[in-house]
Formats: sequence, structure tokens, C-alpha cells
Amino acid sequence: MVRILLVLTLFVFTGCAASTAAITAGGSQVELRQMQTREYETIDRRGVLRSVVATLQDLGFVIDKADFELATISATKLQKYEIRITVTVRERDGGRLAVRANARFNEKPIEDPKSYQDFFATLDKAMFLTLHKVD
Amino acid sequence: MISLTTRRASEEAHRSGARGTPRSQGCTYSAALVALMLAGCATLPEDAFRLSESALEMREIQVRTYEDVTGVQILAASSAVLQDLGYAIEEVEKELGVLSASKRADASNSAEVAGKIALDVADCVLTLFLGCDNDSYKSSKDVQDIKMTLVVLPDLNQDGVYRVRLTMQRIVWAKDGTVYEQETISDAAVYQAFFDKLSKSVFLEKEGV
Repeated sequence: MVRILLVLTLFVFTGCAASTAAITAGGSQVELRQMQTREYETIDRRGVLRSVVATLQDLGFVIDKADFELATISATKLQKYEIRITVTVRERDGGRLAVRANARFNEKPIEDPKSYQDFFATLDKAMFLTLHKVD
Repeated sequence: MISLTTRRASEEAHRSGARGTPRSQGCTYSAALVALMLAGCATLPEDAFRLSESALEMREIQVRTYEDVTGVQILAASSAVLQDLGYAIEEVEKELGVLSASKRADASNSAEVAGKIALDVADCVLTLFLGCDNDSYKSSKDVQDIKMTLVVLPDLNQDGVYRVRLTMQRIVWAKDGTVYEQETISDAAVYQAFFDKLSKSVFLEKEGV
């Protein structure tokens, strides 16, 4: 019995080690922005926002807030976990639009580039369909 | 979440410590540790931002198209249905066709309660030897917060056709104020029931009733 308890206790302390290391291992502000942002060669703000909404719905998010003027969309995904995401669209020089997404998983910000890569890969497909007028 | 779980686990350990035998204390401690392991280190699922296999199927369940309507008619008809169902409209963004609403409702539908009681029993078994005291059946009288968002946009290919996509989620609260369950609703029948009402509402809107 005592041995089992010891093993379990060890598991608890080693199992959570990764999450505490993450506190100090945050990337720079520039790095974070780069990972969360992608630029598109279009000036069709409406089309881009429409694609963002469609992508979020396809990924199982429910839209909480949307504002065309400010080009900001917030959404929540509820499974066994909760993800909150905010997507903004900004105009950039040279007829481009920058889309920035930032998300939180339960209480923690998502700072892993893979998640954002996945998000933008899904958005790319929706964007292609919307900008070529296919639903 | 980690601190909450820890607190709850230690409370449980404390409670059983006050009345339990040394053996049950040990079991409670190990149960608490297992709970900590499972809940404390929750990580983001790898596929959280990838289309799931059921994404296309869900889209079909959640989308309907309406012909010969104007943007104002379809939005008015949609908000009328939400009001019929007792929802409060939270957000309207006409430019993007987003309409979101929510309501708090009783969660003690008989089928749901049956399911939850079954879960409670499983829960009692999980909290090893703690015994199922009365408040283990706490979920029979809880409430749920339901949220719906409609995205109503003109179809890109056909004039005069509007595309409505409905998404729903809910949080079920247990009596003690903790989250009992949170989920995205995927039951096709629930969506169908809403769209049936919306079709009628569109008809009434067009007739000017």
C-alpha cells in the first residue's frame, strides 16, 4: 500500500513538471506575433472575415462576438476542455491583410506554433473557397 | 483548475479522515492522487485546430438554405424564433450575419437525469470506499446555460438565397455550482427542431404576420 502511494506521489510531481517549466519558457513578443499572424494577398476584408467565421464553425467553435468595423471575432469551443479564440484582421501595406489569432486552452494561453499552423491551414482552405466563390 | 482539484481532493481526504478508518484514508489519498494526475496535467488535444472526421457531417446538420428572402427577413425570422424559445439575444452583427443568444434552463429532463444518476453512481465507485452519501446525487436539480449562434449570410453562388448555420453549446451546472458537463451539441434532431421552427417563422415573416 505504502509503496503504491509513493509511486503515485512521484507521478504527480514528475507529471506536472512540464507545465511549470512553461511559465518561464515563454517566447519573445515578436516570436509570438509571428506565430499567431498570417498575411494574405487580398483586400477583401469581408471575404476574409467570412472565411474566419466559417473556419471557426467548422472547427466546432461557437461565435461569441463579431464586429465587422473592428474586424474582430471571438469564439469558444466547449468539449471536455475549453478553448477561447480571438481573431483580428488588419490592413497591411501593399494590398495585404494580416490575420492574427490568439487562443487560450482552459486557463493557459496557447503558445505552441503547431496549433496556429493547424488553424491557418484550415483557414487557408476556407479562404480559397470563399475568395473563389464556392461555399 | 489544478488548485480547484487539489482543494477538492484535500477536502475529500480531510472529510474521510475525520470519520474513516486508516485503510479508507489511504484509499482516499490514492484516489485523490489519481484525480490530480488526470485533471492537473490536462493538455491541449493535438487535433483541436484540425477538421475532425465528422466536420462535414456536422456542417450538413447545422446548415439550411432559404430561398426568396431578404437579409432583413431572414434575420428577423431567426430572432423571432430565438425569442419564441425564450432566448435573450446577446449579439447581433448584421454585416457578418452573426446572431447569438443564450438562456438558462432547467437541466432535469428525465432522460438526462437518468444519465447523470448513472454517472453519479460511477462517480461513487471511483471515489473508492468513500461511500455515496446523499449529496452524491447532486446533479438531479441543476441548471444549464445554453448558447446558440446563427450565422446568416447570402449564398455566394445564388442570388436571393440565404445560408443559415446554427451552432449550439451548453454548460450544465451541478447544484454546488461546479461545472457538471460542457459540450457542443451535436444531436441532429435538436438542430432539425430549430430549423422546422425557422422555416415557419420565415413563412410568417414573408406573409407579414
